[in-house]
Amino acid sequence: MQDQERDVADAEKETLTSETDDWKKYRDDDIMQQHSAIQAEQAVKVPFVGDKEPLSSLEAEYHLGNSIVLKKIKVLSEQYAAIRRTRGDGNCFFRSFMFGYLEHILDSQDHNEVHHIKANIEECKKTLQSLGYAEFTFEDFFALFLEQLDSVLQGSEDSISHDELLCRSRDPSISDYVVMFFRFVTSGEIRKRSEFFEPFILGLTNTSVEQFCKSAVEPMGEESDHVQIIALSDALGVPIRVVYLDRSSCENNSINVNHHDFIPTSSDSDVSKTTNPSITLLYRPGHYDILYPK
Amino acid sequence: MQASRARLFKEYKEVQREKTADPDIQLVCDDSNIFKWTALVKGPSETPYDGGVFQLAFSVPEQYPLQPPQVRFLTKIFHPNVHFKTGEICLDILKNAWSPAWTLQSVCRAIIALMAHPEADSPLNCDSGNLLRSGDIRGYQSMARMYTRLAAMPKKG
Repeated sequence: MQDQERDVADAEKETLTSETDDWKKYRDDDIMQQHSAIQAEQAVKVPFVGDKEPLSSLEAEYHLGNSIVLKKIKVLSEQYAAIRRTRGDGNCFFRSFMFGYLEHILDSQDHNEVHHIKANIEECKKTLQSLGYAEFTFEDFFALFLEQLDSVLQGSEDSISHDELLCRSRDPSISDYVVMFFRFVTSGEIRKRSEFFEPFILGLTNTSVEQFCKSAVEPMGEESDHVQIIALSDALGVPIRVVYLDRSSCENNSINVNHHDFIPTSSDSDVSKTTNPSITLLYRPGHYDILYPK
Repeated sequence: MQASRARLFKEYKEVQREKTADPDIQLVCDDSNIFKWTALVKGPSETPYDGGVFQLAFSVPEQYPLQPPQVRFLTKIFHPNVHFKTGEICLDILKNAWSPAWTLQSVCRAIIALMAHPEADSPLNCDSGNLLRSGDIRGYQSMARMYTRLAAMPKKG
């Protein structure tokens, strides 16, 4: 009863403000504009993909912080030489993967790998078509990624240098399109194997697979979790190592840095299970960066 | 800019090709500006908007389709999620749940679905939202129907 009275009072208040046109101050457009302004402010601080920094820069970040984290960074520094930060805009997993993967191809010039991923991308396209996505909604994003893939292979007119790759990764008209390409691929894989993913998704969000893809995979800026990583790795056939850095410690107070290798289910078991994934990401609660082994 | 233009042109062709597929939606691009569209949507049956035709205005940003189009009702409508004065629409896919998988056409479909399934808990039109929240379905329906007759139906004669 009281609630109802309050509702009525609120309603009266709100009607009043709408009559004085105060609403105009709070229009959704303005809120979204403010959002972009905040994002622009962030952009000045951290580019989409940062420069390679020695691992000591990570230590510096925690110099007054948690001792377990500091000890873990010590352990990390035995195996890893450098870190490359990405912007914390909700796309950091995809952005880290993008740069990590394209840089790996640029360095290794692994034509077999490119051949392999292109075949998988072709499959992803078919998956989306069979799920009822109109081709014109995703084809531009696919084309743009394939273009980047070709240009990191050297020896053609369109080949690019490492610096150019970094530039493109910082250019929203390329970088955001590639992130969106990964989001399409991830969503397609989750929907295609919805029976497999359903229990994970229920555990995370208590929503349907369809709803999860629409609200947590496809929109830009939505953060990624295990589900997205498994799906992307499986769909593209690319193994990913994720190293976890948090405050947790073992019972006996020994310090271990855990990692998990996401190995594509479809991959030829002989190769990928014996070698380390070429892409290593550092996970700190809520954020992914790129790690470089020694 | 170039990318958004190319995408909109594809949507334009698709709309021409599928004209008859969705008789409840008539989506038209401005003759001189591909970033401006209008749509006529039919009020869904078994709702107080039945029989009405509602005009929507689309303004497409340069970052489309990474960013959503701005859409508002040009026709006056009494609905909890539509601002009574500005026609602004409260719909997640036009805000944070937007993705390039949506198209102008599918946005129209989503708006028709919203007309049939108002979300009284996130009202832009509080009067309308309060009627629904307090359980006064009849009150909401008769107001909505009245505005449909006043604003969304062709004048007779």
